[in-house]
Amino acid sequence: MPVSGATRSKAARIFELTALLLVVVSVVQVGWWLYDQRSEATRTVQHVEALHAQQVQAAQALLASGVPEASVRELLPDVVIEAGQARISPDALATLEEHQRRRINQYMWESGFFLLVLCVCIAVIWRALRTEARVRAEQESFLALVSHQFKTPLASLQLSLETMAMRELPAEHSKRLTERMLADIARMEQLVSQILESARLERGRVELRREPVELASAVARVVGQLEERARAARISIGTEVPRDLYILADPVSVDVVVRNLVENALAAVAPVGGGTITLRARAANGEVELAVRDTGVGFRPADRARLFEKFTRLHPGGGSGSLGTGLGLFIVQRLMQLSGGRVSAHSEGVGRGAEFVLVWPRAATEPDVRTEPA
Amino acid sequence: MSRVASDFRVLLVEDDPHLGAGLAENLRAEGYTVEHLTDGLRALEWLQRESCDLIVLDVMLPGMDGFTLCRTLRERGVVTPVLFLTARGDPADRVRGLEAGGDDYLAKPFHLQEFLLRVRAILRRWEWYRNASATPATAVLRFGGNEVDFRAFRGRSWNGEVHELTEKEAMILKVLSERPGEIVSREDLLERVWGYDVYPSTRTVDNFVLRLRKRFERDPANPQHFLTVWGVGYRFLLEPES
Repeated sequence: MPVSGATRSKAARIFELTALLLVVVSVVQVGWWLYDQRSEATRTVQHVEALHAQQVQAAQALLASGVPEASVRELLPDVVIEAGQARISPDALATLEEHQRRRINQYMWESGFFLLVLCVCIAVIWRALRTEARVRAEQESFLALVSHQFKTPLASLQLSLETMAMRELPAEHSKRLTERMLADIARMEQLVSQILESARLERGRVELRREPVELASAVARVVGQLEERARAARISIGTEVPRDLYILADPVSVDVVVRNLVENALAAVAPVGGGTITLRARAANGEVELAVRDTGVGFRPADRARLFEKFTRLHPGGGSGSLGTGLGLFIVQRLMQLSGGRVSAHSEGVGRGAEFVLVWPRAATEPDVRTEPA
Repeated sequence: MSRVASDFRVLLVEDDPHLGAGLAENLRAEGYTVEHLTDGLRALEWLQRESCDLIVLDVMLPGMDGFTLCRTLRERGVVTPVLFLTARGDPADRVRGLEAGGDDYLAKPFHLQEFLLRVRAILRRWEWYRNASATPATAVLRFGGNEVDFRAFRGRSWNGEVHELTEKEAMILKVLSERPGEIVSREDLLERVWGYDVYPSTRTVDNFVLRLRKRFERDPANPQHFLTVWGVGYRFLLEPES
């Protein structure tokens, strides 16, 4: 990856230099045009002034030779005669100057517009190139991360198998290794399905329904599925969800996000040797909040933004490692966004527990008040 | 003098519960005494209180990553050999590990036999080094006004400058000084100091010898102690040839 990164930044630098050169050349060219126009205007003014001088001289000569003033005025309309003296009319001079000023102005506006269009074009191309580079970098790092995520369960699987092949093991140890291998396979299976799920979510190829969902039942369903695991790890799960709370969401995605958060909480509490997980819901400002609070390992507040990125596994110093895929919270966030809700995370620091808050729009309780699918 | 497997204490730092448990079980089955930790910072704390003969170190760890941990240990003068385990097997990562002061590098997934072989090889090299520097006579090397203390990994050169030696520099010097005046091939040095296939080329040896020359030769461009034998390897002389 570093190679393509270097190539990419080199390509970007070449483009930036070329664009800069183009702008500089264009500015110089436009500057030259303006200078040329101004010189041309000066030359024209000088030429016309010379003609005027000739006209004044001719008028003066005609007057001297006795031609009447009226005939001279008729013959040379730009000349005015006052007290026998001929001079150029101020109107003629003003018209000439006005004409030249307009031409210069016109050129300045046109040049400015030309430069603006050029800069806009360069900016558009630059943006497109940057987007393309970012997409490519994301794809590369995604592949690297995916292969990295698979290698650990694969290494564990290989180690267990080779241990069985190499050593004479008591039945109990063999059974333990078999369980470990099955768990590794399950881990890889979960990784595959989560990768597919997150890819689907990322492309927006999911159609989530929006209908009133009774939050208390959804929470009870998820907690019921995980209760035994929690008991085995000496974790108690408490729920305080009022019966009449209805949210506007996709029923399946509600189960997925709540389950993900409770599983995360279990993984965070287990390393500290047990504790509690509390799910508390309340309605406020047309929304419903569900807070999942645990007494587990927590995380550094500085890591909060990274939590929802793909393949982030913070291991907050709690010890005994986790078998997570690093995709769970990413999926939670995407599902919440797609169903018009949001999720946030809080922790006062490592070892001080964590709280994840899900927020959905509140739905009216009557089943006939339904919103059409999104 | 030779120790049995259980005399060797191995610190395993691996946060994946399955992999960690599997490696610890296998190391114990080989007879080693194993301490298993799952966090880089805790490993650093542990190493401040305790000592071991080998650290098997995962790279991506909670608390402190394996590279940083290894670098910190080396800066603090801890020379305990480190075998890195990592899910990233690209050459750049390998070089990073060795530059951080690692002795060997194994990419996941790996073969159990190979892992055990490498553990054994590192411990054997260190056992040899420790034994070869055990007596007052073999612990200190004096040549051309320089003095090297193999146990403290420290050298004082002819101009009075004190140099902290890396374990590799000390080992190379040990191999060369065991056979003064004889030709030692690059392959021999690689095998004795690094083990088989850790480094891709014998050029690495040349770089280390260059470093030793800079430290201990009066004129590194015209060496009197670390002589190159073209196409073969090196010859170490205690005194310059007349």
